[in-house]
Amino acid sequence: MKRLCLVCQNVDCKSRGSEQLMKELAKLVAERALTDVEVRPYICFGACQDGPNIVLYPEKSWYAGVKTEDLKDIADRLAGGPDVKRLDKIDSSLKELIYQLLDTGVF
Amino acid sequence: MQGILFPRGVVEEREGLQEYRARGGYTALEKALKGLAPETVIQEITESGLQGRGGAGFPAGKKWAFTRECAEQPHYVVLNGGEDEPGSKKDRLLMENLPHLVMEGVILASYAVGASTAYLYVNSQYNKAKDSMAQALAEAQEAGLVGKKILGSDFNLDILFVAAPPNYVAGEDSAALEVIEQKQPLPRQKPPFPATAGLFGKPTAVNNVETLANVPAIIASGAKWYRSFGTPESPGTMIFSLNDEVNRPGIYELPFGSTLRFLIEERGGGVKGGKSIKAIMPGGPSSAFLPPDKIDIPLDHNSVRAAGSSIGCGVVHIVTEGSCIVEEILRIADFFAAESCGQCPACRMETNTLAVMLKKVQQGQGGQPLLEQFSKVISFNKGKGFCNLINMPGPPIESALRLFRPDFEFHLANGRCPQS
Ligand SMILES: Cc1cc2nc3c(=O)[nH]c(=O)nc-3n(C[C@H](O)[C@H](O)[C@H](O)COP(=O)(O)O)c2cc1C
Ligand code: FES
Repeated sequence: MKRLCLVCQNVDCKSRGSEQLMKELAKLVAERALTDVEVRPYICFGACQDGPNIVLYPEKSWYAGVKTEDLKDIADRLAGGPDVKRLDKIDSSLKELIYQLLDTGVF
Repeated sequence: MQGILFPRGVVEEREGLQEYRARGGYTALEKALKGLAPETVIQEITESGLQGRGGAGFPAGKKWAFTRECAEQPHYVVLNGGEDEPGSKKDRLLMENLPHLVMEGVILASYAVGASTAYLYVNSQYNKAKDSMAQALAEAQEAGLVGKKILGSDFNLDILFVAAPPNYVAGEDSAALEVIEQKQPLPRQKPPFPATAGLFGKPTAVNNVETLANVPAIIASGAKWYRSFGTPESPGTMIFSLNDEVNRPGIYELPFGSTLRFLIEERGGGVKGGKSIKAIMPGGPSSAFLPPDKIDIPLDHNSVRAAGSSIGCGVVHIVTEGSCIVEEILRIADFFAAESCGQCPACRMETNTLAVMLKKVQQGQGGQPLLEQFSKVISFNKGKGFCNLINMPGPPIESALRLFRPDFEFHLANGRCPQS
C-alpha cells in the first residue's frame, strides 16, 4: 500500500485554503519523485478549529494549522527528513480515535 | 376509542370558525380570559402533565413557568410548525384541518406566558397549512379573538407568520428563532435556553404544533379529565404516524400506553403483504431499533425507554423480514450527514465519518475492526454540538450493530445484502 498524506477537505479546512494546500503538496511530492506517496482528500479529522489538518499515514504524524510555507517541511518529512514538530498540536484522545479509524481503512 | 385532538376520528376536511365554535371552540380561551389568572392556566397545564410533542417530551407547564417568571420583557410564543422529520405529517394535518384548535392553543399559551406577540413558524413547503392558518387568523381577528382587548379583556396579542426553511435543523427551536430574526437556520449554543433568552434575547416559549393543540381541551375540561387518558407518567394522547409499510398508512391518535401491536395491527391494518417484522423504530430516524418481540410494549415515554428506544415525535417505522439493516442505517447516516448544519466541527466529523464507515461496510471493506469503531466515534462526539443532532445517529447505529450483527458480517464478507 502507498503511504498516505491525507488533507482534510471539510468546510473549515477548506475555508482556510486546504484545497490549494493539497494541490501544492502534491506538486512538492511529485518534485521529490516520491512515487510511494499518495496525497488525497480526507472527510474530516474533527479538529476543525485547528485546521487546515494534514495527517501522514501509516506513520501517524498529524500537522495542524498548516500554512503554505510549512508544506516544504512536510514534503521533506515524507522524503525522510525530520518530523515537523511545531505543527504537532492535537490532543492525544482525538489522535487515537482518528488513527484507529485509519487503521480500519476509513480514508 | 375517543380522542382529544380528534374526538371523532382524524379530520379529513378543514374546520372553519363556525364549526369549531359549534363544538365548543374558543370556550377555553373565554374561560381563561374571564376567570383564570395566567399562573392558574400554567398550573393547570403543569398538573395535566402535558409533554412536548416535538420530540424531547419536555413538560409544557414547566417551560411556560420558566418563560413567564422571567423579568425581562417582552415575552414571545413561537408555534413550531417546521416539521421536517421524515415520515411525519401530523403537524401539517393539524394546521390544515384544525387551524382554530391550533390557533386557540397559541392564544392560550401567549396569555399564560405573558406574550403580546406570537409567531407561527410554518414549513415553507406547507402551502395549504399556511393558507389555512392565515384564513383562521383573519377569522379570529374579525371575531375579536386575536388583536386588541381580546374578548373584552385587557389581553392584546399580535400573531405573525414566518416561513420555516425546509431542512431538518430549521425545526430545532433555537434555529427557528434565528430564522424569525432573519438569520440563517443555525442552532444556538445552549444554555441559555429559549425559555429565558430566546427571540431577540427575550424569554420565549417554543412549542410544537401538536403540543399547543392539546391546550384548549385541558383548559376547557381540566387536568384531571386530561389525565383520564394515557398513563400517569405520560398523560393524554399522542399522534402516531405509520407509513407505507402497513396496509393503512396514516396518522392515528392513541392514548399513551396503547401497545405498539395495537397501533400496527388494529390501526395500521398490519404489515403489507403479511410480511413478518424484523425490527421497529418507534420514534423516527433517531430512535433505536426494537426487535419484533417488543411489539407488545406500551407506547409511553417510560416503557419505550425501558425497552431501549425512544418515542420521539411518534413516527413508527417498520423494517420487514428480507430488508437489510445495513442499507437502512446507511440511509439514516446519509440523512444526518446531509442535514447537519455544519457549524459544529464534532457534528460534521461524526456524521460524515459514520456515513463513510457504513459505506465501507456496505461495500465489504474494513473487516471486523471497523465495526468496533462505530461506538468510539459516537461516544467521542457525544454532546459536542450546539443541538441534539449530533446525538441522533447513535441509537439507530448502535442498536443495529447489537441486534443485527449478521447483516453487518455478511456485508463485510460479501459486499452485498444477504437477500440480494
Ligand atoms: C435537529 C432538530 C430538529 C427538530 N425539528 C423539530 C420540528 O420540526 N418541529 C418541532 O416541533 N420540534 C423540532 N425539534 C425540537 C425542538 O428543538 C423543540 O424541542 C420543540 O419545538 C419544543 O416543543 P415541544 O416542547 O412542544 O415539543 C427539533 C430538534 C432538533 C435537535
Ligand atoms: S448545531 Fe448544526 S446540526 Fe446541530
